[in-house]
Amino acid sequence: MATHVSDQDYQAYCEARGLQPEADSYTMMELLAVAVAREISDGAFMFAGTGLPLLSSMLALHTVAPQATLILEAGIVGPTVEHLPISVSDPRGCHMGSTVTNMADTFGTTALRGFCSVGILGAAECDRYGNLNSTVIGHYWPGGVSEDGKGPKVRFAGSGGANNIATLADQTIVMMVMEKRRFPEKVQYMTSLAGNRGPEGETKADYGIARGGSCVMISDLCIMRNYPPEDNELKLERIYPGVALKDVLENVGWELHAVEGKRVTEKSRIPVMDPPTHEELKILRFVVDPERIYLGRKGKRELAK
Amino acid sequence: MAQGKIVTAKEAVQKFIKPGTCLCVGGFSYTRRPMTLVREVVRQGIGDLFVTMNGGTAAEEILAANDLIRWLETTYVGLEGIQPVAHSIRRRIEDGSIELIEDYSNFGFAQRTVAARYGWPFAPLVSELGSDLLEYDVFGKAGLRGKNPDGSWKHPSIPPKKFHVIDDPFEGFGYRPHAFRGGDNVANQTANLKESLGSTKYTGKKGIKVVLVPPIMPEVTIIRAQRVGHEGTVRLEGIWGPDNEQAIAAKHLIVECERIVPEQELRIRPDQNHIAAHLVDAIVEQPFGGYPSAVPNYYDYDWDFWVNYGRINKGSKEAVRDYWRKMVVETADDWEFFFEKVGTDYQCKSGKKGFERLFELRADARYGYKPDLERPM
Repeated sequence: MATHVSDQDYQAYCEARGLQPEADSYTMMELLAVAVAREISDGAFMFAGTGLPLLSSMLALHTVAPQATLILEAGIVGPTVEHLPISVSDPRGCHMGSTVTNMADTFGTTALRGFCSVGILGAAECDRYGNLNSTVIGHYWPGGVSEDGKGPKVRFAGSGGANNIATLADQTIVMMVMEKRRFPEKVQYMTSLAGNRGPEGETKADYGIARGGSCVMISDLCIMRNYPPEDNELKLERIYPGVALKDVLENVGWELHAVEGKRVTEKSRIPVMDPPTHEELKILRFVVDPERIYLGRKGKRELAK
Repeated sequence: MAQGKIVTAKEAVQKFIKPGTCLCVGGFSYTRRPMTLVREVVRQGIGDLFVTMNGGTAAEEILAANDLIRWLETTYVGLEGIQPVAHSIRRRIEDGSIELIEDYSNFGFAQRTVAARYGWPFAPLVSELGSDLLEYDVFGKAGLRGKNPDGSWKHPSIPPKKFHVIDDPFEGFGYRPHAFRGGDNVANQTANLKESLGSTKYTGKKGIKVVLVPPIMPEVTIIRAQRVGHEGTVRLEGIWGPDNEQAIAAKHLIVECERIVPEQELRIRPDQNHIAAHLVDAIVEQPFGGYPSAVPNYYDYDWDFWVNYGRINKGSKEAVRDYWRKMVVETADDWEFFFEKVGTDYQCKSGKKGFERLFELRADARYGYKPDLERPM
């Protein structure tokens, strides 16, 4: 059963927090969480990374996918989370879990055995086939073995469980801020194969991987999706309300195509995502992140305004 | 004499951790980190460490900030909800002062610890394939892999190869989904098993690829537990993280805890224990020693500390080291740190400091953490 929150409680909460209760008052973070949650099918086994991915998976549990099972890779299976965890090992994530063990166990019993339906990840770079970089910008070699004694230009957190989730999940949902430098033709370091690695001859199967390949990119401007095995390239599926195609095109590093295959121009007709509903926003704010730990953060575009 | 295992943090660190030691730090992220021993390493200034880890990074950030890490074998160097990349580690990788870093994935590293726990020569992994994790071998490039002319390993904790890819000798037999809850809405579709059988990448032969990973072989693992029996029986409460495996992987295991208890208290329910007494080399008792990480059923992480520290660690390297000098290096031990320093580096809502602050973080019995912990950014 989806969670119910009374309008009265929600109104009082919004007043105390200084928020507008109306559905059209959503922020970018809230829109992204809703866009991701809508992708989750009921009954899914979902691996979620820290931050917005986890928050989105919790929204799904309270709305469209109450039968789904949440898995936090550090060792948690099937919790009923009451307080938003800030880490995949946060004791908050363990609350009313079905089992709490270790990392080999979550990946093994669920993902490797073939039951990870969906993984939700973030990354620093994503290319046209949905390959993700969450490791470095610039050369990879650390100072001890590099030519100039210096390490990479920018070092990120690294794979964590992202590579494993991307490799083994039937579908990978990726959340990223859309900027041209973050959406190149080819990633500088291939941390995770969230999509199908490349075109024919370069697919996951060509590299001996028998799982996954389906990828959805939920950026802060639009939704892109691939259609394996026929088409492994990320295609523009939907834009968000109020987003101009010009902005999308300016922020992607490859020739972007629409779902039916036509090249996207400023004049293309692309479907617009249905904005968050009153009900979704209510659950997201009142139940999932009432402290606004993540929802209170501003997206890059909101900050720029 | 079993009681001989019970030592102070100072004694344990002096005895087992030397410059250059390959050290594995237990717990995961902000949960159940052996902070007492980490702080003692900082006090003693033991550097050139080769830190091997699965799921950092709160403890490793502190070691890096004090310039004690030389090599790092890791899966993830983020501080999750507080800071996307642990800044002291990041800047040292970028400027080259952490000389070597070898990347694995979480599951890849977990399989290495499983191999280590059970004494397997290697463990299988169906992951990392097609990614650059398989392409870069830092320790190899640094000439640290393999054997010396006399037959000894060049480095006792570095295996001769990072990975080895084989064709599944069982042709994908175990790769098929094993039915548990089915139904249309649970995807459970191994879509391209047939196609991947034809892959000739890595091995040059047709077959489903399996990556073999070597066991981890750290010299010392340090972990934190809630209770340890006086002979060393360890019970972990809450998430085990990688500890159940990596604790056993090392030559020496130091366990720090909230309380040392009579063995009988734990052995009356042996099914609930995790590490057998004989595997433990040293036991250190330090209540609240996991601070500022969370120890399930005992206390929560100190959110205000981490938010504040996430600003401090962006200052100059010298300023960050100076911060740790004042907070930790100048204290005699963790008792002094708790009495004199906790809460003096930030302003929390209650304004409490020292043990009053620690008591404020104590866990609620129903949740195992502090449900009303305020977490302003």
